[in-house]
Amino acid sequence: MELRRYIFRRIIQIIIIFFVILTVLFLLFRLAPGDPVSRMIDPDMTPEDAELLISQLGLDQPLWTQYVYYVKNFFTGNFGNSFHYGQPVVRIIGDRLPNTILLFTSSIILSALVGIFLGKIASWHKGKKTDTWMTIGALVTHTVFLPWLALIMIWVFAYKLDWFPITGMISEEVWLDPDVGLLAKFLDVLHHMVLPLGTLFLIHFGSYLLIMRSSMLETLKEDYIITARAKGLEEKVIRDHHAAPNAALPVVTSVGLSLAFSINGGALTETVFTWPGIGRELVFSVSHNDYPLAQASFLLIAFVVLVSNLVVDVLYAYLDPRIRY
Amino acid sequence: MVHAVKTDKNISKRFRWIDPFQEGWSIFKESILGKIGLTLLIIFALMALFSFIPPQIDPMYHPMTGVDPEISHSTGPSARHWLGTDFMGRDLFSQLLAGARVAFMVGVSAAFMSIFLGTAIGMIAGYSGKGIDTLLMRLADMIMVMPTLLVILILSSLFGQLNIWTIVLIIALFRWPGVSRVIRAQTLSLKQRPFIEAARVAGASHLRIIFRHIMPNVLPLSFLYMTFRVTSAIIIEAALAFLGFGDPGTVSWGMMLQWVWKTGHMFNAPYWLLPPGICISLITLSFYMLGRAMDEVLDPRLRKEEGAG
Repeated sequence: MELRRYIFRRIIQIIIIFFVILTVLFLLFRLAPGDPVSRMIDPDMTPEDAELLISQLGLDQPLWTQYVYYVKNFFTGNFGNSFHYGQPVVRIIGDRLPNTILLFTSSIILSALVGIFLGKIASWHKGKKTDTWMTIGALVTHTVFLPWLALIMIWVFAYKLDWFPITGMISEEVWLDPDVGLLAKFLDVLHHMVLPLGTLFLIHFGSYLLIMRSSMLETLKEDYIITARAKGLEEKVIRDHHAAPNAALPVVTSVGLSLAFSINGGALTETVFTWPGIGRELVFSVSHNDYPLAQASFLLIAFVVLVSNLVVDVLYAYLDPRIRY
Repeated sequence: MVHAVKTDKNISKRFRWIDPFQEGWSIFKESILGKIGLTLLIIFALMALFSFIPPQIDPMYHPMTGVDPEISHSTGPSARHWLGTDFMGRDLFSQLLAGARVAFMVGVSAAFMSIFLGTAIGMIAGYSGKGIDTLLMRLADMIMVMPTLLVILILSSLFGQLNIWTIVLIIALFRWPGVSRVIRAQTLSLKQRPFIEAARVAGASHLRIIFRHIMPNVLPLSFLYMTFRVTSAIIIEAALAFLGFGDPGTVSWGMMLQWVWKTGHMFNAPYWLLPPGICISLITLSFYMLGRAMDEVLDPRLRKEEGAG
């Protein structure tokens, strides 16, 4: 029951935060130097179409009415047309969103699991060679400049060794071939995903490893671990069943805290690997002055960050019975 | 600082703001991470210094505009161009040195501003409590979830190319919440201590209590966070330049990577692709290591800073 109330409160908070972001973005787009109308209307449009869109978006109305239109359009999914693609923005971002979620969630889950596992081992060998090398490795991979790592990955594994495709998410010839089954298509996406996923994984697992390591070392000093030892339990049981589950909680927190960081990294990775996701679309639309697309992608990313934050918080409250908000 | 002064805990001795730093230095010296970090940092500082020395090619050479008239495409390392040249015949070594200067400039100034903001806001929130506290912390929560890089992207789409100082300012404006939360927590606990009570009874004003009594106690913590903020500022600027939204008048390492990527030289010019990436990664690593070493000095159990962007 307590948990439900906590979730409810967090949802209210998120709605408020989202409205503030929505409003700030609205003001920025209207008050920035230049003509706000030209920012939403495709220069290639016929005057009649432009007129129609202007009245749809309420661009001929006073600022306050425009804001009402803006909020209404947001909830009905009407973001206007992309200048570049000439399609409704909502369709484009709807296409891209699953790709981003696929790459993003799999990279976070993979790096958190590996980070927790390796951090556990490092803490168990504290002060020995294993620990030292793991810590150094984690520090180095965590601080490598992401786009550069992505370029190096492409250079080594896609260009020199030719193990993986250089860019993209699917191979046209596989997907256009009517005889190819679902499994082959899945394997094709997986094949394209290895390098971007590997890059994001390398960047992220280090910080989880370090947090897990120090959290493990703290946990091992707790009374219940001493009790477990006194009971004569095996070291492996103590490590995996008594210490690790509790020690992993700070990792969950840090996943939440580093979400914004991961989103930045995701956008960079998508751009370098031309992975058709929201982050790449945002970078692309900004460099091509495709304002409707830029605005919608940004809002969607902000929304994803807020929702993932909620998921992490709820997961934490659920995992740690000591904490009931 | 050559001699580590061990401060005695003599109450009659006046508390100076420098004391915690001197105390920390003696512990810091023992840390391996600290040593590696400091060594790397000194190397980069020297690189930044050398960028002011006119290059041997031509005393008037500028890494942004200076082209070798005899070279019209990217060439490998030679005696004249130690790291080779880029696609227009510009000297890569000079660019690399200039990049070190930009990295320090961006990193330190953005970090300083965000730490200043974060410390001030954290102290005010923690000290005043109630409404102001809630308001400031909600604001911090909100800014904290924003991906800074993407925010700057959106801003540059609206306001056109941003110059380097605007970028620094925006980074600072978006990177204070983490610091302010820690400083607020510290202030909250300090507020309960007897010496604050004593100062208040003695008639000290709120401002005096904040600046005279609370600030010296939170400064070491701010200083720790500054190293992490330097890292994130350098990364954000580099990423922005890499994506093509950097200050077009500045030669930064991110800019060099953008040129090598955009001109399609990444597969055939390792002398051009490798150095800037290694430099960005190592300078980040060095500040990060310094931060962790200082972390050990201040509190071994302090929760580590995760995100760097």
